Amino acid sequence: MRAALAQASLIRHRARTVLAVLGVAVAAAMLLDMVMLATGMRESFRELLLSRGFEIRLAPKGTLPFDTDATIPGVSAITSTLRRNPDIREISPVLGASIHVLAGNRDVSGSALGIDPRVQGDYELLSGRDVTTPDAIVVNDHLLRQLGASVGDTLNVATGYDPQTRSYSGQRKLVVTGRVRFIYGASDQSSAAMRRETLEGMNGQSRDRASLFMVRVRNGANAEQVRDWIDKQLPNVTAISIATAIAQVDERLSYFRQLALILGAVSLFVGFLLVTTLVTVSVNERAGEIAVMRAIGVSRSHVVEQIVLEGVAISFAGAVLGLALGLVTARYLNTILSAFPGLPMAIDFFLFQPRAAWSALGLLIVSGIGAGIYPAWRAASLPIAESLRREAIA
Amino acid sequence: MAGDTVTIGAIVRRGADPSEVARGDLRVRMHLDQLQEVAGYGDRVDRFAIATTPTANIPKLIDRVNGIAFGFKAYRSRDIAVETSRTFQVVSRFHRAIGIITIVASSVFLLCIMVLKVEERRRDIAALRLMGISRATVMRSIVIEAALVAVLGSALGVALGWAASLLVNWHYQALYRTPLAFSIVTPPTVAFAVSLSLVLGIAAGVIASLRLVRTPPLALFGR
Repeated sequence: MRAALAQASLIRHRARTVLAVLGVAVAAAMLLDMVMLATGMRESFRELLLSRGFEIRLAPKGTLPFDTDATIPGVSAITSTLRRNPDIREISPVLGASIHVLAGNRDVSGSALGIDPRVQGDYELLSGRDVTTPDAIVVNDHLLRQLGASVGDTLNVATGYDPQTRSYSGQRKLVVTGRVRFIYGASDQSSAAMRRETLEGMNGQSRDRASLFMVRVRNGANAEQVRDWIDKQLPNVTAISIATAIAQVDERLSYFRQLALILGAVSLFVGFLLVTTLVTVSVNERAGEIAVMRAIGVSRSHVVEQIVLEGVAISFAGAVLGLALGLVTARYLNTILSAFPGLPMAIDFFLFQPRAAWSALGLLIVSGIGAGIYPAWRAASLPIAESLRREAIA
Repeated sequence: MAGDTVTIGAIVRRGADPSEVARGDLRVRMHLDQLQEVAGYGDRVDRFAIATTPTANIPKLIDRVNGIAFGFKAYRSRDIAVETSRTFQVVSRFHRAIGIITIVASSVFLLCIMVLKVEERRRDIAALRLMGISRATVMRSIVIEAALVAVLGSALGVALGWAASLLVNWHYQALYRTPLAFSIVTPPTVAFAVSLSLVLGIAAGVIASLRLVRTPPLALFGR
């Protein structure tokens, strides 16, 4: 009965109901996008870091991984120290360097990783085979396109460019054995990987250095405790766990979270205001009708429920429409932000999580209930006799 | 000499440089020769900044420098700025997209409110029509009223926006410790907001009044 009356009231003014639903839909779309932005970025980054199961990263003291050209000396000693901890299952030292691929008169620059193929967690092999020999190199599609090369080709790769003498410290012919996708690489980045000893030899650096260690802990082990242990054992490195990495990213990208919070709150408020206004006007118009209902014995609670139902119905319809709209706009906004220079391809600023959709829907329903309370209170407290008299005079 | 002792001569604050936002780098400024000595750099620098005369042919000058240079390369400041501002171009595009969504949301909101406001006056309009006032006059009065409400609302919105802008600048300047202006209310922005609001208000007034003046006055009274 209450639902039927609420429905009749909304259908009576189709144009305004449609406009209100549209308004709530746009506000709901914005709200969903902002909830996705506030939570998705962190979740996406966490998933990226955990994608290969390495929970801890070791960078040169005071730096973030690959933030500077600094390297950590004594890979063998550090590996031995780490192996003493039974909670550590796997250690992957990685050396980073800039490379130049010399193709005729062209010099195509990119970044290279020196890895151990048995434990590497930086790339996925798409085709071909991994760097099983010292003269092997695997490259990503971007570099292959730039070079016009393919798997099986031999590349003239150089490192250690000295701008003073315009010369290279190391140069070597390497065979492209595979096509890979770098997990932490940006879409517009030319990248390659080879065995760490190959890169060390070309780089002209003293042996046994790494830019980063990735550490996988045993199942069930506490990564934070292992990180604390590493901090104590190895004073010349900074151990970063997933939690600390996320905290650092949070700090750098706090602007987006705050923007999401502000715009989300504004969207919710706009939706609330729209529904409140609409239902209040509707109640004012039906003052006589409500007074009649009250006069023939319809209870206050019945009237309140009917009015609140109207608010909830508009909010719900708008929310459902808005959630669909929000997914489309989120994809568009994500495309814009994914053009950030150097951003890993796998990072999504707007990550859809069912929890985010439920949160947005829940907030809108609560706001719909809240929006119906004021007009419902007005309707319930209408003086019956006076309202009827005013209606009769009108 | 490495490890030399220095005296803090002054405390400086960050410049309004977008590339420094959200970076917690600690910075000191020293005389070039002193830093070269402390760092053991010798007579080396990372880069030169060159000011040219207003009439200089910059591309020709860059070609000439690059032709004779050994160990460095000349770039135009504008080209470096474009390359280093890619992050901010992305943020700017994102803001524009958010702005468009906000405009759509506020347009629907404004349209809805105006329609409601005009429909609330059904009985007044019916009375005017029964008194013999023409449809055109009734419509004009409604549209003028709608335009006035839109202008007043947008004036209030501009004041609110200006206050919000002050709040945003105060917050982010404190958060990122920078004098950079994050939000600027410019005359074109104000003109755009007021014009959009006026157009939407008038459109809403026309749509709502058309519906009402086409309905017989007695029907507006509910008879």
